[in-house]
Amino acid sequence: MGLSECWKQLSWIYYQYLLVTALYMLEPWERTVFNSLLVSVGAMAVYTCYVFMPQHIMAILHYFEVVQ
Amino acid sequence: ENILVSHIVVQVFSPGNGVASRPQKHEPFEQAPMYVAVMTYLGFGIVTLFGYLRDFLRAVGLEKCHLAQEREEQKDFIPLYQDFENFYTRNLYMRVRDNWNRPICSLPGPVFDLMERVSDDYNWTFRFTGKTLHNVINMGSYNYLGFAENNVDFLKTVADKVNQYGTGVCSTRQEIGNLSIHEELEGLVANFLGVESAMIYGMGFATNSMNIPALVGKGCLILSDELNHTSLILGARLSAATIRVFKHNNMHSLERMLREAVCSGQPRTHRPWKKILIMVEGIYSMEGSVVRLPEIVALKKKYKAYLYLDEAHSIGAVGPSGKGVTELFNVNPTDIDVMMGTFTKSFGAAGGYIAGKKELVDYLRSYSHSAVYATAMSPPITEQILRALKCIMGKDGTTEGLRRIHQLAENTRFFRAKLKEMGFIIYGNDDSPVVPILLYMPGKVVAFAREMLERRIGVVVVGFPATPITEARARFCLSAAHTRDMLNQVLHHLNEVGDTLCLKFSRRKYTSRPDLCAETNLELDS
Repeated sequence: MGLSECWKQLSWIYYQYLLVTALYMLEPWERTVFNSLLVSVGAMAVYTCYVFMPQHIMAILHYFEVVQ
Repeated sequence: ENILVSHIVVQVFSPGNGVASRPQKHEPFEQAPMYVAVMTYLGFGIVTLFGYLRDFLRAVGLEKCHLAQEREEQKDFIPLYQDFENFYTRNLYMRVRDNWNRPICSLPGPVFDLMERVSDDYNWTFRFTGKTLHNVINMGSYNYLGFAENNVDFLKTVADKVNQYGTGVCSTRQEIGNLSIHEELEGLVANFLGVESAMIYGMGFATNSMNIPALVGKGCLILSDELNHTSLILGARLSAATIRVFKHNNMHSLERMLREAVCSGQPRTHRPWKKILIMVEGIYSMEGSVVRLPEIVALKKKYKAYLYLDEAHSIGAVGPSGKGVTELFNVNPTDIDVMMGTFTKSFGAAGGYIAGKKELVDYLRSYSHSAVYATAMSPPITEQILRALKCIMGKDGTTEGLRRIHQLAENTRFFRAKLKEMGFIIYGNDDSPVVPILLYMPGKVVAFAREMLERRIGVVVVGFPATPITEARARFCLSAAHTRDMLNQVLHHLNEVGDTLCLKFSRRKYTSRPDLCAETNLELDS
């Protein structure tokens, strides 16, 4: 089944993430805290990109005199 | 088969003529890719941060403190428990300590039984479920020649000696605990090593830590290798001599220190040193590397220093007839001033010995703390060492000893070659039966130990205080009692676990070649 294969692969990748960041050794509530911090920081970065990217791109194009 | 047998026969009958030969093998200490070091530090950093958080919660009172604390009335006194030093223990080791101190309920042979234990509160307390895990393959015991066995025929002499002498000696060697069986063993050990005289002690660690203060004192210089065992370091510190550390197996570093010591003398007065003692080990247990004996002996003769060789892991385990690193490098045993070893590893017993010239050993009989104050070795243990030594030397009339040594060498070569082929990073010389596999990251160290236990293989993993912080490892100790079948099983599981946990960091390309011993045979045939 394609879906269970996909789920297994994702599960393995999550396991590698736990091992590398040493979250494997921490208790479940600590993992939740760290994951939520990471997800919130990541979400904030994505949102900032989304809000400010058009302005930055216009500024770059203006600098290189592609658009007036 | 024939070639290997003749190889051993020729080596045994040609005595060590003192012409030292260089070993053909080099010892690579491969470095892992940079991202591995980065991820290791990242892992440690995250755990440290969470450690601070948990300490804060414990201090505030939001979490129950399982550690020892003073009573309420004593909180104003000088603190009894130093919290700062225990940070690593309580925040990292306690979380994962189910991988250490596992209780064993059978003898530590090639397979053993473990008691199953679980924890309900994240490893602060354990309870036994009552189940036993049977026939777990043992890759962690120092059982190099397989003498940790309970075969009734082999242990008959030990049982007889218990009938004759009992089990306790109830005295020190110097007072009234000098049994005839001790004298017999000392004679046999001296004969085995090719030296004049030997003395045995009841505990291996105490042999080092209590005898070095008797040999050197204030005004002497000790040059000790970077990776020496704690017993050597403790003995050196107790002796009040000056200690200087040279880089591991690095002859340039050692020679530079020797030259400087001979030229400059003692620190402020510039008087010549009373004695210069070089302390090295035969096989270093955390790395599996072998000492460069011929070069050290050459240096020692040139600069007139003394050599203390600790053969705890190498006696009985290396060399064509098990006589240790002196036989491996074809060095004359009389060139080494103090030969020390333990009986814990290859002989399946406990205790240690110091061997050398007769004057040295006689001096130690009166001046060593261990000889004067420690209880003498117990008779059944002494008999076990005697029977193991007779087996290795061939004096019991069978070729069992030679067979075991040959089996260990073959197991070592096979295991190491296969691991390198699979792509793991291994440290150490190709001859040494101690095989450390580098795991680096703390999360992987713990996951490795647990996965291997689920697959019925018991391994020993070592982490930060015993090894450098970025080089956590799993240490495999091979045994002559491991069959090819067991090793294949272990290798198969290692392959799977290596893929699941992404442990194959090696960037070298190894081709599968036939056995490496084919190269040495060319010398003998000509």
